[in-house]
Amino acid sequence: MNNFFKISLYTILDQMRSKSFYVLLGIAVFFVLLIRGCYKADFLVNGELVDSVTLAWYASRVAFHLIANGMILMAALLSMSIFSRDESNGSLVLFLSRPVSRWQYVMGRIGGTWVLATAFMFILHATIFFITWIKTGGVIPGYLTASLICSLNLLFIILLVALLSLFMPDFIAAMMTLTVAAVSFLSDGVFLVMQNRAVQATLSENMFAEPTLWRVLFPKISLLQHYAVIHITGNDFQSMGPVHPLLNLLAYCLLSAAVLLFNFNRKEI
Amino acid sequence: MIQLKGVTKKFGALTAVDDVSYTIRRGEYFALLGPNGAGKTTIVRMILGFSAPTCGMVTLEGMPAANPAAHQGIGYLAENHRIPPFLSGRAYLRRHAALVGLSGKSAQIEVDRILELINMAGNADKKSATYSKGMVQRIGFGAALLGKPKLLILDEPVAGLDPIGIRKTRSILENLRQESLTLILNSHLLSEVEKTCDSVAIMDQGRILVKDAIYNIVKENESLEDVFIRYTERNGREITGKGT
Repeated sequence: MNNFFKISLYTILDQMRSKSFYVLLGIAVFFVLLIRGCYKADFLVNGELVDSVTLAWYASRVAFHLIANGMILMAALLSMSIFSRDESNGSLVLFLSRPVSRWQYVMGRIGGTWVLATAFMFILHATIFFITWIKTGGVIPGYLTASLICSLNLLFIILLVALLSLFMPDFIAAMMTLTVAAVSFLSDGVFLVMQNRAVQATLSENMFAEPTLWRVLFPKISLLQHYAVIHITGNDFQSMGPVHPLLNLLAYCLLSAAVLLFNFNRKEI
Repeated sequence: MIQLKGVTKKFGALTAVDDVSYTIRRGEYFALLGPNGAGKTTIVRMILGFSAPTCGMVTLEGMPAANPAAHQGIGYLAENHRIPPFLSGRAYLRRHAALVGLSGKSAQIEVDRILELINMAGNADKKSATYSKGMVQRIGFGAALLGKPKLLILDEPVAGLDPIGIRKTRSILENLRQESLTLILNSHLLSEVEKTCDSVAIMDQGRILVKDAIYNIVKENESLEDVFIRYTERNGREITGKGT
């Protein structure tokens, strides 16, 4: 087996040895299961009783976003001490004193963390998917596909935290990455709100300026999540600028990986 | 086999290694000696490719040290060796075995052989967090021996070991001579170096003061410690407590 896969596997096993991982997974599943109550409750909207299928549909969408956003935080936490922990517990020397190239080590660590975070998110989304199925008898099409699309966001977060942690303390690296995510949600969120016809009707025309260049080029974390949800709702997707958020995030992932590898190759062990 | 050509390593204004050149032949048991901060560990790190020389070149079997292929057949025990606390000694050795290309039954046999060799078979399945310093050191030494390395680099291998452990380590190294092993030993325990190695290089302030076979530099009625003190004193270092 290639060293990249071996190190990815060790990364998953090491993370899963940590008790805090199971505590987080347990808390997340518990909150997801709490949502079950929404499917049976009676809700009145404008004096009319909302049927359980419609309710389940909206609750599942809200849960989708909550899980995807929560996993961004989780991915930052999982990845923030990849290198410093290996340096302090001797794993770095273990790997690099053997015929393992630095790119295999770095990408193995990143790959393992990504697979674990993606699996974590997929389990939570799948839990919602099956609860909805059992409670309403209806399958939400595209729900699990949307979950997999959002995994690209997790890869970007992991890469960025790992890259920044080469230059600054782990916690600051995680905070800076979460700030990037927050800015993306703000910028993309404003754009999405502006696409709403009801909003457009209430605002004057001069308020609909094209997004500035930095907003078009900024990592499209939120817009990718929105694009993923389109697979559930079936609505039309309006991209900000000429570049699709999938390509935007893919480009950022490749760029982060390249800069990370370049800098790690120059690192003194 | 291992060649250093005009190797210099600078950390900002500090020159840790200053224009060092030497060759270590296959099968040679070689020790790097020097006071703290002499540049020994920096040289070891450059041989392992952990650190790049500022100028000059380090090659292993003709390959640049930074090339991972050059690390095939190297066993390394770091100074202040550490094991991830969540791994048992056996799990740690299994990882090393996998990284040197052993798998399945052959990995299991090799790990069991090493555990017996280093007297850790009885504690192999305990978490390393419960190990004493000597046990961690023995597991580290065992990891370096996995897969029958051609080059063994040991940085303070007997630190933390009791006299029985020290004697056992020496005996293992003696037995490995028959397998054409090359040894690079970094140690402050000069009596051990004298018993184990064929040749030494004495370093100070980043420079090699002398490199020769031990029998050439240690004169009659003299110990390696006397030679070490003579060379480092000659280099301008003040030695306190001489002869004690």
